[in-house]
Amino acid sequence: MAVTDVSRKAAVQSKLPPWVWDAWRIGSSAIVTLLGLLALTFFMGRMLPIDPVIAIVGEQADASTYDMVYKQLGLDRPLYVQFGYFMRDMLSGNFGNALFTGNKVSDDLMRVFPATIELATIAITIGVSVGVPIGVLAAVYRGSPIDHLARILGLLGYSTPTFWLGLMGLVLFYAVLGWVGGPGRLDVFYIDIVDRRTGMLLVDAAIAGEWEVWQNAFSHIVLPASILSFASMAFISRLTRSFMLAQLSQEYILAARVKGLSKWKVIRKHAFRNIAVQLVTVISLAYVILLEGAVVTETVFAWPGFGRYLVSGLLAGDMNAVLACVLIVGTLFITINLICDLLYRILDPRTR
Amino acid sequence: MRTVLASSVVLAAFLGLAAQPAVAATPKDALVMAWNLDALITLDPAQIGEVNGNDIMINVCNRLVQPNIKDVAKIEPQLAESWSTSADGLTLTFKMRKDLTFPSGKPATAHDAAWSLKRAIHLNFGNAANLKEWGFTSEKVDEQIVAVDDLTLQLKLDKPYPVGLLLSSVFSSNVSSVLNKETGEKNAKVTDGKSDHGNGWFKTQSDCVGPYRVRTWNANDVVILEANDNYFGTKPGLKRVIIRHVPESGAQRLQLEKGDIDVGRLLSSDDLKALAANKDMHVEQTVMHGYSYFAFNVADPILSNPKVRLAFRYLVDYEGLEKTVMAFQGKARNSLVPTGAFGALNEKDGLPFKLDLDMAKKLLTEAGYPNGFSKKYILSANTFNPAVAQHVQANAAKVGIKLDLEQMADANLFSKMRAREFEIGQIGWGAGYPDAHSMISRHAYNPDNRIESKLAQYPSWRSAWFDEAINKKTDTAMMEKDPAKRIVLYKEIQEHMLANGPMAYMFQTVRPIAIRKDVKNFQIGPFKVDYASASK
Repeated sequence: MAVTDVSRKAAVQSKLPPWVWDAWRIGSSAIVTLLGLLALTFFMGRMLPIDPVIAIVGEQADASTYDMVYKQLGLDRPLYVQFGYFMRDMLSGNFGNALFTGNKVSDDLMRVFPATIELATIAITIGVSVGVPIGVLAAVYRGSPIDHLARILGLLGYSTPTFWLGLMGLVLFYAVLGWVGGPGRLDVFYIDIVDRRTGMLLVDAAIAGEWEVWQNAFSHIVLPASILSFASMAFISRLTRSFMLAQLSQEYILAARVKGLSKWKVIRKHAFRNIAVQLVTVISLAYVILLEGAVVTETVFAWPGFGRYLVSGLLAGDMNAVLACVLIVGTLFITINLICDLLYRILDPRTR
Repeated sequence: MRTVLASSVVLAAFLGLAAQPAVAATPKDALVMAWNLDALITLDPAQIGEVNGNDIMINVCNRLVQPNIKDVAKIEPQLAESWSTSADGLTLTFKMRKDLTFPSGKPATAHDAAWSLKRAIHLNFGNAANLKEWGFTSEKVDEQIVAVDDLTLQLKLDKPYPVGLLLSSVFSSNVSSVLNKETGEKNAKVTDGKSDHGNGWFKTQSDCVGPYRVRTWNANDVVILEANDNYFGTKPGLKRVIIRHVPESGAQRLQLEKGDIDVGRLLSSDDLKALAANKDMHVEQTVMHGYSYFAFNVADPILSNPKVRLAFRYLVDYEGLEKTVMAFQGKARNSLVPTGAFGALNEKDGLPFKLDLDMAKKLLTEAGYPNGFSKKYILSANTFNPAVAQHVQANAAKVGIKLDLEQMADANLFSKMRAREFEIGQIGWGAGYPDAHSMISRHAYNPDNRIESKLAQYPSWRSAWFDEAINKKTDTAMMEKDPAKRIVLYKEIQEHMLANGPMAYMFQTVRPIAIRKDVKNFQIGPFKVDYASASK
């Protein structure tokens, strides 16, 4: 709202269309945010008591080898110079080499990020398709067994350690029942069958028409995605319940019922539509958190994803990898906020 | 209600799609291993400095010679069929096998061997020290390493070192892997006038002489090796080796029990105990040439007292820990030369200490600290380290020593110890080759104790430990050609270090590997896990 108002005033003064001002304001704000984030991460990273040279040369290296790599990494230069070079490289699309994998950071990200997108997308799909209906039902039948069940599920989702849940899931569904695939993205029989196009195995297998590989990939992703979705499902269902309760106590709901509309029609057409804007925010945030915060699930399920990559980079003092990840996470937050902004305009006419 | 029904249908479809018939076993022609591949950053033999890379590439790139897989002090021919030294001991000549070929079928010659050794020096990664330590330098290497013809490799030495020591330390190590010179030169990249000698290419691919070749490496995911059909030696028992990145012990155990992997390489003590009791499994424990120990910074006035350091050695219940915290992880040993290495003390003499609080108290009193003192004790937060450190801390408290434990990431611990920024530090070290010189030359010998010399590759320097007599004895032992005399000298050094040294060695590292019993003939030694020997 505020952005649009200001843009409108500025546009009127300068005789430019309002969308130009919107784009300018949003774009400049995104750039300043990303620059600030990068600067903060860079300088904080340099203060960490971790030596990235050791990660490359090994603990037993002699001083000449150590010094050679120290200089190669530019660590002998003043911090602001290092940051300048880093920004120059970033702007030219060069993230440098990751010290702890030995590869170009961009190549690593092309490998790990699709794996995480695939996992997080399925997880959020499960989280939303289960969490939203449960939240709605819990609000509609407040105080009923359904509501209690939703609360218990919410409590478990918040409080159960993912590590434990992951292992228990593996024991039950993989080892005992044999319903799902084990750790990793594929069984050994299916590795290297499908050409890599998007890096998302389900998509790549579908493009290649390799449905057996697709089914195997799906059997491997379903458990980690379900485990990952559990916490976000709890989060989404609890907030859906609160939003719905707030709407259901409004007078317009009563008025609609008095007019003769059915209970579920009122809930669907009036109450639920009014919480849609808030839900979009909640779901978007949950999705971004899944994209960058699935470290434990990725470890238990041997999932070569973004969260583990970021944490491994941090522990190795690998600032090239960490900064590239921070840039991506920052961009994700900004992009998803923008998408939310657009969705608000579609869902709520008052924001147009 | 319709929403609930729709959700239920979606969930049911979900589970239906996921459900699939369980695959009974791993492929008959492949060895499937699970390991934590986090540390694997390069496949270039000149650069490899960690366990994963060594373990994999020793099965991909043969070396000029190799230690016997079980009796590691015995060196055997590999790519070189024989060797000889000149009368003055200053020229070492290798005769290469005639039937060596790279996976492409191109013959491998002494020229490839010479190029591979030289590039290791020019690249100056950590492994270059293996050559630099014996007088090879970047400036002189073209005269020092010469391919006389396709089958003859000649090396000029600066001193007449005992040939057994050279073979063990240099020519069975990574740097003596024979890489394809043509591939290296074709893929070399020059930056600021300096060539990478194909490092960019060899980091992720292989072109050398060995039973396997690298087919795929997806970092933090999977490594796939494929049998080299042009290998001169015995053909591998299994066509492929698939190493999957599974960083969690519980997940590895489940996969082993289910038969989705054949070999588990990183398992916790609890999981190993359970697997050892499983009739379908075998847990192979190999005593490695590495140590877990705590080091004292002898620049500290209190820790410079040998009696204080000796007292600490009586604060550890070696046998008790071996059976509990260190089960499947370590074997108690105090001497700095590991069992199995040339010149090592026998098992009894190598473990003279036991938990004895009265003795520790007596030594502290004699040292002038009857009421103890306080010290900071740094350690890695990984694996068994915190439990062992807490054990030392508890026993130290009983004799009046207050130890403040500080756990940290490995990289941080290494930095602090390399910079001498510690009082007591618990850490590990792996000997590079099975000869007493490997440990003694780093842990007892210190060429220059000045802080500005920055000899961080010497743990002795890190501990500010300097003993002129031990330095001389190490030099004498290194040049001694009579093996029996060398053994005597090493025995004296070990005994001296047990009583005075700056490190309290606790455990020789044990490498547990859980293997399904349908994998046969899998040969495992401290310096090589021989993938090619396995069959099903």
